[in-house]
Amino acid sequence: MSFTAFIFMLGGLAVVGPLLAHLLAKPRFRRVPFTMLRFLRAGQVESQSRRRFRDLLMLLLRCAIIVLIAMLFAQPRLVAEQETEEPAAVYYLGLDNSQSMAYSDGTGSYFDKMVDSAKEYIGKGDERGEFNIFSLASGQWSKGLNKEQALGAVGKVAIVPDKADISDFVSALSERREKKGHSEVSVFLCSDFTKNTLKEFLEVSEPAKVDNISFKAIVSSKAVSNASITDAHVGGIVDGKLTLNVTVVNYGETSQSGLVRAKVGQESSEGVEVTVGVNERMVFPVSIDIKSAGKEDSYLPVELSLSSGDGLVEDDTFYLAVSLPEQKSINVVLLDSGIGETFLLKTAFKALSRMESFDTINVKQVLYSDFQVSDMGKADVIICSSIHSRLGGMSGELENFVSTGGKIVFFMTEKAESRSLMKLWQSGLISALPGDLVKGQARIEPRTLVSESGTMESDDVALKALSNYKLETIVLTGYFECKGHAESVCQWRLDNGYGFVYVKRFGNGSTVFINSSADDSLGGLTKSNASLAFCRYLLGRSTQIGEHSFRYGERALLDASEMEMQFADEKEFWVETCDGKKHRAAIAESLLIIPSAGGVGWVKTLAKPVRYAGINLVENETNMVRPATEQIAALTGRVFPVAPAEQVETAGVFSDNKYEPIWKIFAWIIIGLLLIEPVVANRLKR
Amino acid sequence: MKVSRKYLDPVMLSRLGNIDLIARCAVEGFFSGLHPSPFHGFSVEYSDHRDYQPGDELKFLDWKVFGRSDKLYIKQFQQETNVTVYILLDSSRSMQFSGNGSVRKIDYGSYLSAALSYLMLGQSDSVSLILFGETIRERIPARSRRTHLNVILTALERNKVSGQTDLAEVLHTVAETANRRGLVILISDLLDDIDDIYKGLAHLRYLNHDVIIFHTLDHQELKLDYEGLIQFEDLESKAALRTFPESLKHSYQDAVSDFIEDIEKTAGKSGIDYCLLDTSEPLDKAFLAYLAKRKRLM
Repeated sequence: MSFTAFIFMLGGLAVVGPLLAHLLAKPRFRRVPFTMLRFLRAGQVESQSRRRFRDLLMLLLRCAIIVLIAMLFAQPRLVAEQETEEPAAVYYLGLDNSQSMAYSDGTGSYFDKMVDSAKEYIGKGDERGEFNIFSLASGQWSKGLNKEQALGAVGKVAIVPDKADISDFVSALSERREKKGHSEVSVFLCSDFTKNTLKEFLEVSEPAKVDNISFKAIVSSKAVSNASITDAHVGGIVDGKLTLNVTVVNYGETSQSGLVRAKVGQESSEGVEVTVGVNERMVFPVSIDIKSAGKEDSYLPVELSLSSGDGLVEDDTFYLAVSLPEQKSINVVLLDSGIGETFLLKTAFKALSRMESFDTINVKQVLYSDFQVSDMGKADVIICSSIHSRLGGMSGELENFVSTGGKIVFFMTEKAESRSLMKLWQSGLISALPGDLVKGQARIEPRTLVSESGTMESDDVALKALSNYKLETIVLTGYFECKGHAESVCQWRLDNGYGFVYVKRFGNGSTVFINSSADDSLGGLTKSNASLAFCRYLLGRSTQIGEHSFRYGERALLDASEMEMQFADEKEFWVETCDGKKHRAAIAESLLIIPSAGGVGWVKTLAKPVRYAGINLVENETNMVRPATEQIAALTGRVFPVAPAEQVETAGVFSDNKYEPIWKIFAWIIIGLLLIEPVVANRLKR
Repeated sequence: MKVSRKYLDPVMLSRLGNIDLIARCAVEGFFSGLHPSPFHGFSVEYSDHRDYQPGDELKFLDWKVFGRSDKLYIKQFQQETNVTVYILLDSSRSMQFSGNGSVRKIDYGSYLSAALSYLMLGQSDSVSLILFGETIRERIPARSRRTHLNVILTALERNKVSGQTDLAEVLHTVAETANRRGLVILISDLLDDIDDIYKGLAHLRYLNHDVIIFHTLDHQELKLDYEGLIQFEDLESKAALRTFPESLKHSYQDAVSDFIEDIEKTAGKSGIDYCLLDTSEPLDKAFLAYLAKRKRLM
């Protein structure tokens, strides 16, 4: 028996405490007058000897408990086996269990052939040899096995949807070489040596010296037949049909043809015929009807499959989640005085509404004199061509409209009514207070001024879209000297320093102040080519189709909902991975981070709305191009150079003794003694 | 506890303070708790009538009154002096022992002596009180007058514990000096050489005295209910003994039981009544023992 942390044995010195107490402590007797002492004396002799025995036993028990606790902390261990004899030979088997090994040419899969080869190699090995088996794709070790155990371990290796990685295998061999200078180290590699695997060999920077290196390239005697869907992207949405551009690669040695289909839930597209020549990579558009799906679900899990009848089916499916913009109608109320101030804006909104990638926009033009509270009922956005006296009178209703999620945009003209302006400013509806009108030219600064924290999130995309236009070419013919509200954000300025666009949150909604007119009386914004982008910016979030697919081994991410971001620190959010297991996801920067994809397929959120991400095979993993034997020999020889073992002094430095921790035994003994101690103390009183 | 029984509790009696009152309370408390007086008197001189109660002897029914009134009355008679009682109260230092919450053995003995004297004088018996330690310290001669009670009670109040016990010597002395045959009541813890005690008692019996032993012991002396480490100090010899009483408890109780059993057997063989009194228990046990003995003497 030995101890891992022997220093704790010093704690055993604490037995001095009870020993001293036993030796030095004098019992305190209570003095009691009594009469019948003669009856006491008879049992007195027996009692004293019994008490001494009890005290001694208790002392021994307590000392034993202290010593055992000290030993427990010192982590006792038992030398289970003293390796006096090193194995005659040490075998390291690197077995490729990557996805490509699932290829079958009709005479059995590569993987089965590899298992047979590995068993054959083990069978030929030394009876007293030590076998170490490493699964190259899953990175799992089975070490220190005898022949029988090794044969069992080979049978337990299974294919994983990953590529082979030999870095761990090489580093383990290097360590072994340092520790064992006596045994002969033999390495056996068994793989299909695909392009990806050979690349791994090329990337090894520190070779591991061995005594013997051998390999078995698992290749088919027939022409390799394998086509794969390697990638897919969204082409667009037209008339409720989602078009996907699917990349099909022929990794085999024969021409491939088949059908590519897209599937969303129960909905399946018509098959698209594909024919791909040897070593060819082709893109095929596949369309699927998403009318029903797109209205209800913002995330579509699209499964693309290739039916080609090749030797590897696992790479014939590609998982791509498509996030669709919310299909909604936006009701816009344009308020003007009846002299056509909003004509240009109306034209721009109608043009925007006709664009297929945008939501439906319903524009209603209302005169200020006819403007009623009922007009606000259905409106999402109210655009005021100027500050009219009618607005001041309805400031209370406008406040209510904005605070409940509405958006109101104020353009400025020379005719702004000052009393209404002050009333709206005081109520906080106007995000900037215009001062004197300056009749002069000014240009818009091309860059937005808001900081990240000040950016109004929903406008981000539209803001970026607007920034793409050459705003600096737009000339304003008049502007106001504005003072921004303390809570407002100035998103654009003019080149003379005055603010151009001010945005302010108000309740659940927002207000926008534009330091220009809606027509071209003060500026040429609505006549410029940026007018559509500007109108889109005024409406808020732009439409965008998202693609969500990852490769196995990549960190998979899902979009976090607003609720999830809000309660990121307080609640737990769970996702389901490809293997059907549930995991807790971390939230960072509006994304749910999935700890492990767990295979190939779908990962999705358990909370609604359900968000998906597709997990696909590593790129080029199933490239079955036949490797050249010379190339394999050269690369394996570089990574595992054959060299005689160097004698390394290991005595006292590396001990090969196997230790078995026995702290549990000590813990149980202590518990037992602690239970016995009061029983003994009580029992011996009598 | 019934009100009448309350006046038999030694702790309660000790709170009364006045030994005259103690004696009165103890005796009247005892009788009021009994069946209507079967011990009223044994003389032939008429004293009073009272209603018949089931259990009364029919020979005391006044048939003439029954013939006249159709009602049952019992005739009561005045008692005659016919017994001389010697109360021997051990006043050695061992008698001052008291355990947890109980009265001292000497106090218990004093209450008992006072109460018995009150009772006996009420029945016109002659009562003598002998207080002793190693020797007889005080001796109140036997008288039957009611006023004699005051003398006895004064002696009891004056009594102080001292010295060791030499019970055999005392018993011999009493036997030799008692000029009338009578009833000897010994109130003691009997902590003396047991053979000597037997010899003294045998001497009394030889002289045809009737003897009752009230073996007065404290509850702790009987049970040894102590906890922890204790140094016992003998009240008489001042000898000390350090021990862990819980370890001795069983052997101690066995030894005490043997001691009591031995006395009881020996006393029984000699025709001596033995009554073990626990000072934590009421006095009625002693009264009953006395009255039973007294009735046998009639």
